[in-house]
Amino acid sequence: MSRTIVTLVGRDHVGIIAAVCNFFAENDINILDIKQTTVQDYINMILIVDTSGYTQGFDKLNEGLERVGEKVGCIIKATHEDVFQMMHRI
Amino acid sequence: MVELSEVFETYEMVSHENLDVRTITMGISLLDCIDPDLDALCAKIHDKIVRLAGRLVEVGDQLGVEFGVPVINKRVSVTPIAIVGGAACRSPADFVRIAETLDATADEIGINFIGGYSALVQKGMTPADRMLIESIPEALAKTERVCSSISLGSTRTGINMDAVRLMGDIVVRAAEATKDRDSIGCAKLVVFCNPPDDNPFMAGAFHGVTEADHVINVGVSGPGVVREALTKVRGRSFEELCETIKKTAFKVTRVGQLFAKEASKRLDTPFGIVDLSLAPTPAVGDSIADIIHEMGMEYAGAPGTTAALAILNDQVKKGGVMASSYVGGLSGAFIPVTEDSAMAEAAEIGALTLEKLEAMTCVCSVGLDMIAVPGDVPATSIAGIIADEMAIGMVNQKTTAVRIIPVIGKTVGDRVAFGGLLGDAGIMPVNRYDCADFVNRGGRIPAPIHSFKN
Repeated sequence: MSRTIVTLVGRDHVGIIAAVCNFFAENDINILDIKQTTVQDYINMILIVDTSGYTQGFDKLNEGLERVGEKVGCIIKATHEDVFQMMHRI
Repeated sequence: MVELSEVFETYEMVSHENLDVRTITMGISLLDCIDPDLDALCAKIHDKIVRLAGRLVEVGDQLGVEFGVPVINKRVSVTPIAIVGGAACRSPADFVRIAETLDATADEIGINFIGGYSALVQKGMTPADRMLIESIPEALAKTERVCSSISLGSTRTGINMDAVRLMGDIVVRAAEATKDRDSIGCAKLVVFCNPPDDNPFMAGAFHGVTEADHVINVGVSGPGVVREALTKVRGRSFEELCETIKKTAFKVTRVGQLFAKEASKRLDTPFGIVDLSLAPTPAVGDSIADIIHEMGMEYAGAPGTTAALAILNDQVKKGGVMASSYVGGLSGAFIPVTEDSAMAEAAEIGALTLEKLEAMTCVCSVGLDMIAVPGDVPATSIAGIIADEMAIGMVNQKTTAVRIIPVIGKTVGDRVAFGGLLGDAGIMPVNRYDCADFVNRGGRIPAPIHSFKN
């Protein structure tokens, strides 16, 4: 399994999560966990996804998410989980 | 599960505090390329570097995208060329041929620097060592990516003062040979006492003869991250100051460890070491002088600076050592002047002098680094500055180095602009009193006694 952390920040409105989840479904990426907080109008979301079925490489993944982000007015970013585990866990 | 706050802390470090992996450096042994025929030697060197490091840049960039932390430099270090070229080279010009081969190979595989145009002469010089040293000014003028380092002393052997005196001349000649470009040749030339065999940072990287055939060494960065962390403990005790540096260094070094392990796996090359050095860049905020300022000094160079730097250096090591399975290289805090904009500013207003920098080198990880001085400083004075720095390293059993740039045609009050990571700064004054009779004596300074430590 290849665990990737996806973060999303932006102004909340209908359809954001749907758009992101659709993108994952279309690209064979399984969502393992979602956590979300909304402060006033803003949504802050973190998803852990399994990218082992996705073969196009990380730059394509980030490009795809960027396009989804532009559509829904959010900043979406994907990073391999290991960097956070290494930095913040002993 | 990873917390959102942790993810954003990491993103913040990258986007606002200049966190990056400074360099992934592949060390490559060229001992098996040795050949008495110069053409054959150059061909073998080219082929081996391309074969092993051909994918270095691709893998470095790939890791940067996947883990969200950019890898700024991808580099190669090789076995000291004086050893590799000894059998084939009959003149300094022959060594320049090897430098040109290294430069062209570096260009071919897309790396920005290749280190190891080096000689280890801490006790004595072979004819090959001397020819390589004599070839340095021309080699650095004719190439862009080749970096040269010379070991002039060690705690075990003492200081080779013949070589120190010679390097005084070579530094001036390297400056002359590149005087149309602010004497930039000297920015690629460093002399050492007690150099490590596994340093991934330029200009001093070379692949020591005790190393494996090829290894991956990684240099981390992070002065901006440390400075930002320290803003949260303003006015607090030394205990809190030290703990903060330690914890931050741990996080920064963990990134280096991750990248080193991954690069090693993807390039099928053994993992060597992580170098914990806090390496500044000219970018605003990515500065050791800013950390010193944050610790309580009006400017770097004020009284207390040496103590502050000692704390920084030690805490970085304490935090970093636990974060990596193998630590090596220079590991500490670099204090270059032109490469650190706040350091350059402190020097320009007179807060930071050459003498204070020398004191700081007793507790930092390297030495006098990227210091632009007037172009008319005599070669004997350059040799004197080198001798002082070598003595500090020899007696204190630490690595020290000198990378000094006599800028031909410029003097105190003028500025140099190297651009890029090399930065820019004002020309610093040098003590004008003479030391020629001392450095011209010839011979060696004996190794120091290892007992009676006071």
